[in-house]
Amino acid sequence: MSQLLQQLVLGLLLGGVYVSVALGFSLVWGILNIVNLAHGAFVIIGAYITWVLFSRLGVDPFLSLPVDALVLFALGYGLQRGLINRVIRAPLLFTFLLTFGINLVIVSLLLLIFSPDFRSVTPRYSGSGLSLGSVTIPYIGLARLGIAMLLALVLWFVLNRTRIGAGIQAVGADRDAAQLVGIDLRHVYALTFAIGAAFAGVAGGLIGLQQSITPTAGDPFTLQSFAVVILGGLGRVSATIAGGLLFGLIQVLGLNAPGLGAGYSNAIAFAVLVVVLAFRPQGLLGRLA
Amino acid sequence: MTQRFRPPATALRRLFVGGAAIALVYVVLAPLSSTDAGQQLGLPFLTDRLWFRVATTVAMFVVLASAWNIIGGLTGYASFGNVAFFGLGAYTTGVLVSLRQWPFGLALLLAPVVPALFALVIGIPLLRLHGHYFAVASLGVGVAVGEVVNNLQPLGASTGLFLPIVRSNLLFFYLMLAAAALAVLVTWVILHTRFGYGLLAIRENEEAAAVIGVNTTFYKVAALMIAAALTGLAGGIFAQWNTFINQENVFPIEYNVEMILMAVLGGAGTLLGPVAGAVTLELVILRLAGGGAAAAYSQIGLGVLLAVTVIFLPRGVIDFFGGQSRLSLWALRRSLRETSV
Amino acid sequence: MSQLAVRGVSKRFGGVAALTEVTFSVEPGEIFGIIGPNGAGKTTLLNCISGLYDTDAGEIRWEDRSITGLPAHRIARLGIGRTFQIVRPFGSMTVRENAATGALFGQPSGRLQPRQALAYADTVLDLVGLAAKRDYPVRRLTVPDRKRLEVARALAMRPRLLLLDEVMAGLNPVEIEQALDMVRQVNRQGVTMVLIEHVMRVIVGVCTRALVLNFGRPLIEGKPEAVLRDPRVIEAYLGERYARQGGPDASPTQADGEGGGGAGQ
Repeated sequence: MSQLLQQLVLGLLLGGVYVSVALGFSLVWGILNIVNLAHGAFVIIGAYITWVLFSRLGVDPFLSLPVDALVLFALGYGLQRGLINRVIRAPLLFTFLLTFGINLVIVSLLLLIFSPDFRSVTPRYSGSGLSLGSVTIPYIGLARLGIAMLLALVLWFVLNRTRIGAGIQAVGADRDAAQLVGIDLRHVYALTFAIGAAFAGVAGGLIGLQQSITPTAGDPFTLQSFAVVILGGLGRVSATIAGGLLFGLIQVLGLNAPGLGAGYSNAIAFAVLVVVLAFRPQGLLGRLA
Repeated sequence: MTQRFRPPATALRRLFVGGAAIALVYVVLAPLSSTDAGQQLGLPFLTDRLWFRVATTVAMFVVLASAWNIIGGLTGYASFGNVAFFGLGAYTTGVLVSLRQWPFGLALLLAPVVPALFALVIGIPLLRLHGHYFAVASLGVGVAVGEVVNNLQPLGASTGLFLPIVRSNLLFFYLMLAAAALAVLVTWVILHTRFGYGLLAIRENEEAAAVIGVNTTFYKVAALMIAAALTGLAGGIFAQWNTFINQENVFPIEYNVEMILMAVLGGAGTLLGPVAGAVTLELVILRLAGGGAAAAYSQIGLGVLLAVTVIFLPRGVIDFFGGQSRLSLWALRRSLRETSV
Repeated sequence: MSQLAVRGVSKRFGGVAALTEVTFSVEPGEIFGIIGPNGAGKTTLLNCISGLYDTDAGEIRWEDRSITGLPAHRIARLGIGRTFQIVRPFGSMTVRENAATGALFGQPSGRLQPRQALAYADTVLDLVGLAAKRDYPVRRLTVPDRKRLEVARALAMRPRLLLLDEVMAGLNPVEIEQALDMVRQVNRQGVTMVLIEHVMRVIVGVCTRALVLNFGRPLIEGKPEAVLRDPRVIEAYLGERYARQGGPDASPTQADGEGGGGAGQ
């Protein structure tokens, strides 16, 4: 019983990671209609930045998060403005292939720079946690969940309470109409993609605290983000939160199920994806398309 | 069927087709120089081990790209899960030969069957999805099947499977070439029959296809099964040729992206586009390939190639040679204007 | 015996009732019009008949058998062809191939081979006036020509019932006249027709009877001239204010629309 409770707690905390990873992915998909296959690569760039700052300069991983966000914001803005904007009106397959290419280039560059060695970020406080009876709540996991919620709040605020957000939403609702009322489409697209990338960077900074970092470690996050968005439903911040937390629970329970193991995390993501798509394509919280 | 209504061939195109025909004859006949009979006739060695390695790999990608073209190019369902069929075909042969001691020829017969049945099972739910949903769900299939195989002890798990070595460059080259010819033939038949019209109608507008009487579910699943069978056949040949299979060498998502890139580069939905794309691109990729840092550079090369293709040539190279538009700066600029904001 | 009978058909999308208890029937050889304001559920009704949507309640009978819940391609092969309001040509094919595809898949009797289908396509292209443009790629066609192609593709199926979804919308008066001729000519060959229209002249010009839908409910059914004069119809189209000025009977709201359709024939 207490073991189940412990797993539920760990599942929710892991869900925090998925929320943070999927927020940017969901934004880019919802507004730009791009499924960004380089999203996992953005996440892992964030993780490497945090690792470099921590291992070379001794910067606390949580303090490096703004740096992750800034660097990836700039990268995202440049990629969208320089490359992806050029194919945004082509058939879906093309943005798909282009972002796959970007992913390939980033992962290969990371391999050349950092080698395939495992890296990890282990500050003094990692491993300690809060004990409540038989259940332990790791501090880092709790902080990650808190930051994920903060990110969600920031995104919601930006989208619903700022001028930029109004522009982004207008573009998402109707590209042509948005252009007619004087919105600079190229800039808003680039900005949206940049925000998505910045969120991925922060998520990456958090991920370095949980698992080892390798150049290819980001790939699963793309499929998992997709599963989270499908699970919750596209288009709302609250849906991403629900989808992420639920997906965390499913992962923890699934990986601990008899016969399964750590090798099956992609297979679980995929199984969830297919089941939800088959029975409730609009997601658990999503509206009908 | 689109070819029949093409404008007359341009001189450039004739030159291109003629060159390709000569190259094809050379590729088919050159290996004979390495046989005993060829040696007795005093032919010079036209082929060495590297030649066979390259030619067989290129033929394999002709199969993969042509098979992808049937579901992705003709039916309009951009599958990122075809690599699962390749892996399943390879593992079908691998398991039967190395664990059950079947003869290779018999095991190869089942290599297309297992992936086709798998395509039937996943095709029914997946082919109800569209656009991104289908693309990513199929990507999930590709990743997940590889992962499951990698975890199954009876299939050798992460150690993989070793097959008894069969030393015959000729055998594997001609097998793969036959598979490539089969893939092109199947595509040709599809394009010239009712079935092909049905697939194109689905690609262009699925609801319109349904209301004129196309059984869309049946057609889509059948197209996926045909693609799966051809891809699985290539996988089965690969398993024995390579004599070692594991998750990494028969389930790489990069293969899937390469198939798509080849078909798109050559002209998705055409008969010979994927062939041209596969030959060109695979020769480039093999040139770039290598271990260590070279592998990373070749991946970067592939990534850049993807970006360049997608941004500058969304209609495919074949389109330019096909006489519909000319290969010119003007055409490039137009394609940019059509797709960018 | 009615050829097509729609009985109590309802369809909901989430919380929105798109169709509520729609009932009508069409006799062989008729040209039956369906009119109503935007959003009245006309296209939804066609989608239900042609099998693109599953209905939530009610029954649709065709030539004395129920076709409720059949997949779209089965219904097509039973002899029901349709066009789409926003044309949906097969863009990569030529005009002739588009029509041939209808003949290849839609004809109820036997299977044609592509060659025969292309030959059959020529006869329907003649009928709709596209013969001269049969080798054009679709993107070279004008809007009226695309609408003709939409009809040709459906006709190539040799349907016994043709559902036309606003084929006249966006045409100029001359083109409408041509289209009306085409409709009459097809009808003379024994094809029953159900057409959705906004252009009242079309309804009065060719329809034997008309059904008015409003908010997904049948409002009234009868002779076109009579239907169009009905104050409830004027109200539905122009709003209550105009109806009050136009006639004494301004009280009815959507609530008593139910009786009108159900009572027909």
